[in-house]
Amino acid sequence: MTATDLSLPTPAVAAPGNRNAPRRSVQSRGWRLVGYAALVLAAAGLLLPFYWMVVASLKTNSDVFTIPITWLPDRVVWRNYLDIWQRSDMTTWLGNTLLLSVVVSLLQVVTGSFAAYGFARVRFPGRNALFLAYVGTIAVPWQSYMIPQFILMSKLQLSNTLWSIVALQAFGAFGVFLMKQFYETIPEELSESARVDGLSEFGIYRRIMLPLSRPALASLALLTFVTTWNDYLGPLIYLRSPELRTIQLGLNTFISQYNAEYALIMTGSVLSVLPVAVIFLLGQRYFIEGIATTGLKG
Amino acid sequence: MKRAIPAVISAATALTLVLAGCGGGDEPVDPNAPVTITLAGWSLSSTPEFKTLADGFKATHPNMTVELKEYAPGNDYDTQMITDLAAGTAPDVYVMKNLKNFYTYQSGGQLLDVSDITSGLGSSPALASYQVDGKAYAVPYRQDSWVLFYNKDLFAKAKVAPPDGSWTWDDYTAAAKRLHTGLKGAGSNATGAYQHTFQSTVQGFALAQTPNADLLSGDYGYLKPYYERSLDLQAAGAQPTFGTAKTNKLTYQAQFGKQQSAMLLMGTWYVATLLNQRQSGDADKFQWGIAPAPQFDKSTTGTSATPVTFGDPTGLGINPKISKSKTAAAKAFLQYAAGPEAGKALAGIGITPAQVTDAVTATLFGLDGVPQDDLSKFAYAKHTIKPENPVSKHTAGLQNLLNETHSAILSDSKGVDAELSKAQTRAKNEVLNQ
Amino acid sequence: MATLPRTRPRNRRLVSRNTVAGWSFILPNFVGFAVLTLLPVVVLFYVAFTNWNVFGVAEWTGTANFRRMWSDASFWTALRNTVYYTVFHIPLTLGASLGLALLLNRKLRGVRFFRTVAFFPYITSIVAIAIVWNQLFSPEYGPINALLGAVGVDNAPGWTTSSTWSMPAVIIVGTWRYMGYYMLLFLAGLQTIPAQLYEAAETDGASPWQRFVHVTLPGLRHTTFFVTVLLTIESFKVFDLILVMTGGGPGQSTLVLSQYIYQKGFEENQFGYASAVSIVLFAICFSITVIQFMVNKRRNS
Repeated sequence: MTATDLSLPTPAVAAPGNRNAPRRSVQSRGWRLVGYAALVLAAAGLLLPFYWMVVASLKTNSDVFTIPITWLPDRVVWRNYLDIWQRSDMTTWLGNTLLLSVVVSLLQVVTGSFAAYGFARVRFPGRNALFLAYVGTIAVPWQSYMIPQFILMSKLQLSNTLWSIVALQAFGAFGVFLMKQFYETIPEELSESARVDGLSEFGIYRRIMLPLSRPALASLALLTFVTTWNDYLGPLIYLRSPELRTIQLGLNTFISQYNAEYALIMTGSVLSVLPVAVIFLLGQRYFIEGIATTGLKG
Repeated sequence: MKRAIPAVISAATALTLVLAGCGGGDEPVDPNAPVTITLAGWSLSSTPEFKTLADGFKATHPNMTVELKEYAPGNDYDTQMITDLAAGTAPDVYVMKNLKNFYTYQSGGQLLDVSDITSGLGSSPALASYQVDGKAYAVPYRQDSWVLFYNKDLFAKAKVAPPDGSWTWDDYTAAAKRLHTGLKGAGSNATGAYQHTFQSTVQGFALAQTPNADLLSGDYGYLKPYYERSLDLQAAGAQPTFGTAKTNKLTYQAQFGKQQSAMLLMGTWYVATLLNQRQSGDADKFQWGIAPAPQFDKSTTGTSATPVTFGDPTGLGINPKISKSKTAAAKAFLQYAAGPEAGKALAGIGITPAQVTDAVTATLFGLDGVPQDDLSKFAYAKHTIKPENPVSKHTAGLQNLLNETHSAILSDSKGVDAELSKAQTRAKNEVLNQ
Repeated sequence: MATLPRTRPRNRRLVSRNTVAGWSFILPNFVGFAVLTLLPVVVLFYVAFTNWNVFGVAEWTGTANFRRMWSDASFWTALRNTVYYTVFHIPLTLGASLGLALLLNRKLRGVRFFRTVAFFPYITSIVAIAIVWNQLFSPEYGPINALLGAVGVDNAPGWTTSSTWSMPAVIIVGTWRYMGYYMLLFLAGLQTIPAQLYEAAETDGASPWQRFVHVTLPGLRHTTFFVTVLLTIESFKVFDLILVMTGGGPGQSTLVLSQYIYQKGFEENQFGYASAVSIVLFAICFSITVIQFMVNKRRNS
């Protein structure tokens, strides 16, 4: 970067709260309208497959596939939403998946952010090599080492338990990498002055880094949640008992059981997306309105 | 490091043995002591065959229980089974969906020698498929074959003469085109035929029927006339194109069951599906029939000859890690599943068992909704079935390669010859030299 | 990032204290990581030099698998297709996700709703995605080609049914699906840029573009680096999307390395060879990642 690099956030931190609240630049009404129009159009494109899913779930099975595609049901069939609860173990699947997603996200956030601090802020021999090993394993396709891993998990008596999925997802390198990147945006001077004040490394992590990295923690939690929620291959390899099935595994068995009943299958798919969508809608203030407004005051 | 895998595997094996609670297995076995064996199945609630077998077996062997273990459906079944066998956590008896997978399990040492029970089962091509070096490693309990399903109502509507058992592929092609024009004239949108996207719909027939055709030879000239006819039917609009079938996710169940197409080449497993869907309302109720698959030439047509078709048997094998005290029960179960009694029980739920006897045909055609004409019975009961997958080390690789060739030929305009010669080069350089 | 040890004098006690401190942070995660990921990956490296059918003993074959790969036309096809996908997927997704993040980082009415919408493609069931996009792309009946026909395109592409156009189709869907995911990371990154910097730039009379170049981009440096590395690796490993969209076809036109690995391993039972291909895929991703790390380090210092 050049000498006039503005990227160093030091000055901003040095004077938090000294300036007035950010002024909003006045936008012309015309541009705003154009912006909204673009957003609405983009939203339509992004929602199209989801919209199709919803419409298909409100059709009868034989009306789902037509040539050409029909975007409105001739008559709305709500029955599918009743049927699916009666004909599948939706409650069990949702329960298992929710449990797994929550536990995995918690573990990933706790252990990942903890380890990331070690990588970002403590200098010790072999640190960079170790970190490369972490990132390197992201580059290995899972399907090529899942059998040795499965043999190992069976040996630990973990296969065919929900613990296997927790073990599989919770210690991934993704969270460590993500958190390390965010810790590095936090100015070193903050922790230096804390060190001078006699705060231990753990104290710095807990008192300074954690509160400041709230947006990153929230996005890590959310992404881990979604990944675990949507994972198919992991549960497929590790889980056998019907009572352990996750939503993706359950839906797939369901698809093969009712192979022509696409309306019902789409009903299941809609139901599997909704919880994640709701969490995203409610949870986004934690990573959008994070550091800029509250973080630095703490 | 060099011994990591064997070490991990042997440890896993030891662990399974401990978990199974069967340290030595040398203690004398009381033939009447209660014993439970596990059997792998898939989609248990919609695939009743496993329960039918388990219940039927229990009725004749009161002290033996078959416990079902549910696996994932489709190709995922094999993914799960391979991992379970590798880790030593697989059930006592498991299913081989086709001969391609049989080779995987047999060559990997994952099947117990069951030669001692096959002697009592007579001789059939399906049994022979499971023999390697004179030893049997599995027994068939199902043997589907590919036949022609047709919609009698649509034939009548288009004023086209229905199949009479004398068809060669040229007759089939001509009929599909006449159906297309006839149905259009009658104001119907249905197509003459529907060819599903499976590679078997072309390659299975070509391999089984063409004299001297050999998958393992690496020479695929025998596929050419079969592909040309398919392309011809696509171009004429007599069947939905491969691209349409793929992009619109056409299902053969809906195409035939909802009367979108007048003819469908499919395996006999579809009988049970069609019957179920007629009851549930997912298929229309119309007059239908089964005819023998169209033939390579006139020498095998007509009801006095034996038509040639294809189909892999579905087999059961025993996990070699089964405890010794259970081996006898597992073998008894295989013997039962491949025998005539299980055959009748399976026919009762619309499934085609390993041996189609007169009793089996009578049972199946006694089901509600099955056509009663003689040609259907003939097509169901009489044919020479050749395996789709010869048992060999190279089969899986060649079939994958030919599957790619299949989609390339049917969706692109590069020409049959170019694609087939590419397939031959690839077979020689990538598979057969291994 | 890391300062070279020599630039600041440190005594041995500090180093050992730091080592203990560093490891105590890393350990809880590392235990799980080492046992469950690192160990199997090490086994994979061994298997790549063997002939292993998954059940029996792995037989050491030295570099035979790699020599076979060298003359395996399908491997090269898969590699070429993977690179094709990656080269287009990375810049498109990077641009789209950054654009979305900037657009949706403002205080607009309903912005929360739009953010959720942008994330929808990532959480929608992949089966539904495949069905809808295939129908949209359907050459005979799909709305996309109907639209192209309406604006005067005569020879509309065959998309997923043509070996020339299937990869572009997959790239479009790939970008569409993942941009919400990376948008989220960029949004989180944007929160770490202090508002004061923007105000200062505004007071200096900087145009929106100048603010973007001199404030936003530098401020997003760490995030962009993370996103680029992750995006590179994810593109090279693309698997499920292609599997459900085209299954690698028509012919081998969308066959990618991950799928080839699965085919060789689970369908053809050649786990030794499949592992060797994974090692190559790993080596490619890893070298690119290391280069990215080095470039990033130089830029930071």
